[in-house]
Amino acid sequence: MKKETGSVFRELGYFASLGMSVALSIFLGLFLGLWLDKKFDTDPVLMFIGLALGIAAGFSNIVRAGKKGRKF
Amino acid sequence: MGHPYLILTSLFGMFGLDGWAAKNPHVVYMWLAMIILIFLGWLGGKSISMVPKKAQNVFEVLISGLEDFMVTITGDEGRKSFPLVLTIFIFVLFGNLMGLVPAFFPPTANINTTLALAFIAVAWSHVIGIQLHGVKYIKHFLGPIPAMIPLFLPIEIIGHTARVLSLTFRLFGNMAGHELVTIILLTLGGMFLAPLPVMALGTFVALVQALVFFLLSTMYIAGAIEEAH
Repeated sequence: MKKETGSVFRELGYFASLGMSVALSIFLGLFLGLWLDKKFDTDPVLMFIGLALGIAAGFSNIVRAGKKGRKF
Repeated sequence: MGHPYLILTSLFGMFGLDGWAAKNPHVVYMWLAMIILIFLGWLGGKSISMVPKKAQNVFEVLISGLEDFMVTITGDEGRKSFPLVLTIFIFVLFGNLMGLVPAFFPPTANINTTLALAFIAVAWSHVIGIQLHGVKYIKHFLGPIPAMIPLFLPIEIIGHTARVLSLTFRLFGNMAGHELVTIILLTLGGMFLAPLPVMALGTFVALVQALVFFLLSTMYIAGAIEEAH
């Protein structure tokens, strides 16, 4: 019983924080790209690369959560 | 929108420091929280006996309950990092509850405090991972094959920085929002006790946010422990 409650809370915490971490990953990548653009004076290129990396990071979080969810 | 009146700011004004204290209320009130928590710890630990009495009883229920809860999540390896996570929990809970006292500013309603707490929690989870798995833990960040390191490393770094940010913004947003709503309702209808329902909700939010912070730091430590299997 004790083990059960622990795992329920664990999944709850993990999946509840998923949405926020996806959004923040995308914004983090975007702003990292924008900042690097300003630094190296390569206007739109690094912004798009950063955005793509951010989206990839966000989605890798979802994929990892899905894999974990199948195991439970 | 600032606080209408802070008691410690006027207390510091006696020593001519009110300008500095008004600018950094979170620092001043964090000192107060630290003093009270250290005093409580001294009170709970000064006369430890086999048959617990009053203060020791309360602390034992709180600490052993949370320790059992954490060990069910992380396994036995997580027991070592329990003191840190419990300290964060008690500090966040206490800091949140300080916002309910009139003329007090909750130290967790400032982004600097929450960022420091989140950074410590996430950095410690990586320390635990490196301690337990050695070089294999770092390998986990590099993806399946060496040729894809330039792709995987930034993705993983962004993903792990987002953890710090999500912990930071969740606690900061909740507490700063609660402060703001209370202040607005106080200025609009303070005579009719308008902020009372929000403050009642605030007790609940304080507990839930402290629990969420505790749970998520525990989750990150658990993730670092079972990594690279």
